[in-house]
Amino acid sequence: MSVVPAPQGGGAGGTSGLYDVLELVLDRGLVIDAFVRVSLVGIEILKIDVRVVVASVDTYLRFAEACNRLDLEAGPHKNPGLPDLVGTVTEGGARGRTKGAISGAAQSVKDVVQQVRDRGDGQSGGSRSRKKEESE
Amino acid sequence: MTTYVYGIARGDRTELPEGLTGIGDPPAPVRVVTGAGLSAVVSDCPGELRPKRRDLLAHQRVLTEVGRRATVLPMRFGSVSDSDEQVRTVLAEHSDRYEEQLDRLTGRVEYNIKVVHHEDAVLHLVLAENTELRTLAEANRADGGGSYEQRLRFGELVAQAVREREAHDAALVRGALAPLAEGERPGPESAGWFLNVSFLVDEDAGGRLLAEVGRLEKEHPQLDLKVHGPLPPYSFVE
Repeated sequence: MSVVPAPQGGGAGGTSGLYDVLELVLDRGLVIDAFVRVSLVGIEILKIDVRVVVASVDTYLRFAEACNRLDLEAGPHKNPGLPDLVGTVTEGGARGRTKGAISGAAQSVKDVVQQVRDRGDGQSGGSRSRKKEESE
Repeated sequence: MTTYVYGIARGDRTELPEGLTGIGDPPAPVRVVTGAGLSAVVSDCPGELRPKRRDLLAHQRVLTEVGRRATVLPMRFGSVSDSDEQVRTVLAEHSDRYEEQLDRLTGRVEYNIKVVHHEDAVLHLVLAENTELRTLAEANRADGGGSYEQRLRFGELVAQAVREREAHDAALVRGALAPLAEGERPGPESAGWFLNVSFLVDEDAGGRLLAEVGRLEKEHPQLDLKVHGPLPPYSFVE
C-alpha cells in the first residue's frame, strides 16, 4: 500500500502520485455555468507510468516468458531463484509508479519482468501505454 | 481583472491561513468573496491562465489548506469569473444548492484508490489456481521455453486468466471498502489500473479505511493499492 497524504503546510508536495490527484482536479469538482473554464488544450501534466494489460502478441509473449521464469514451487514472495538475472536491470526500479513495500525477492522478479517488457517495447515500437510526460 | 474561484464554503467569515497564495506567477494572494451567507475562496486571475502543473498544484493546495478549517465545495480547475461581483451573484442565485451540499459533505473527505496487480504475484496466483496453465508452463519449460506458437498460446491463456482475476479482485476491493464509505464514485477514465474509485468517508473513518487497505494487501499479496487522501471531495460535488 502506498498512502499519499494531502500536501502539508503549503508545500507543493512531491511528484509521487501527482497525476492521480490532478486527474481529480481536472475531471471532478464543482462546475458553475456562469464561470468561464480555462481551455485544457495543451495541458501540462505529469503522466506517471501506467500499465495496461493489452490483449496483444507482445503481452502474451511477455507473460509466457515471465511464467517460465517463475518458480512455481515458491510463494509469490519467495526467492524466485534468478540470481544470474538479478542486478542486471536498473531501469525497472526507476519507473515512476509508486509501489508498496514488497520483498526484495518479489522485486527481483518484477525487475526481470520489467526487462522483458522493456525489450518488448523496443521491438514493438511501444504498443503499450507506458507514458512519462513531464514538464515544468 | 478576472477572478479565479477555488471553492465555496459556508458563512461569511471563512478564515484563511495567513499568507495563503494561489495560482499565477508570482502566486496571487487568496481572499474571500462573500454573499448570501456563503464564502467563495478566490484570487485574482492572471490574464493568460494555462493549465500548468504549478497552477494545478496551487489549486489543490488552496483547497487542502482551506479544507483543514472549513467544509469547502471544491471547484474544478480553471473556473474563472468576470468579477467579484459576478461571484456574489452566483452565490446568491444558487445558495440553496450549495448549502445542501455543504451540509452533506461536512466532516467528509475523499479517498481515491487505485489498484494494480503485482505482476509476479498475480502470475503465481493464476498458475497456482489453474492446473491446465501449470501443466502448459511446465511443458514449455521442459521444452526450453516452448516454440513461438506454444508461448503465444500459453501467454494468451495466462492473459485471459489475469483479466478474470482483475475483475474478481476489483469486486473484492470494492466489496471490502464500500461498507466503510458513505459514497462511492468511479474515478476518471484512465488507463493502467484495473480499479480506480473514490470513496466519501467520515474524516474520522479514514484510519479504518487505511487499515482495511492494509488487510487486503496482506491477505491478497497480488494486490497493490495506491491510496490518495484525505482529499477535498472533488468527486462528490455537483
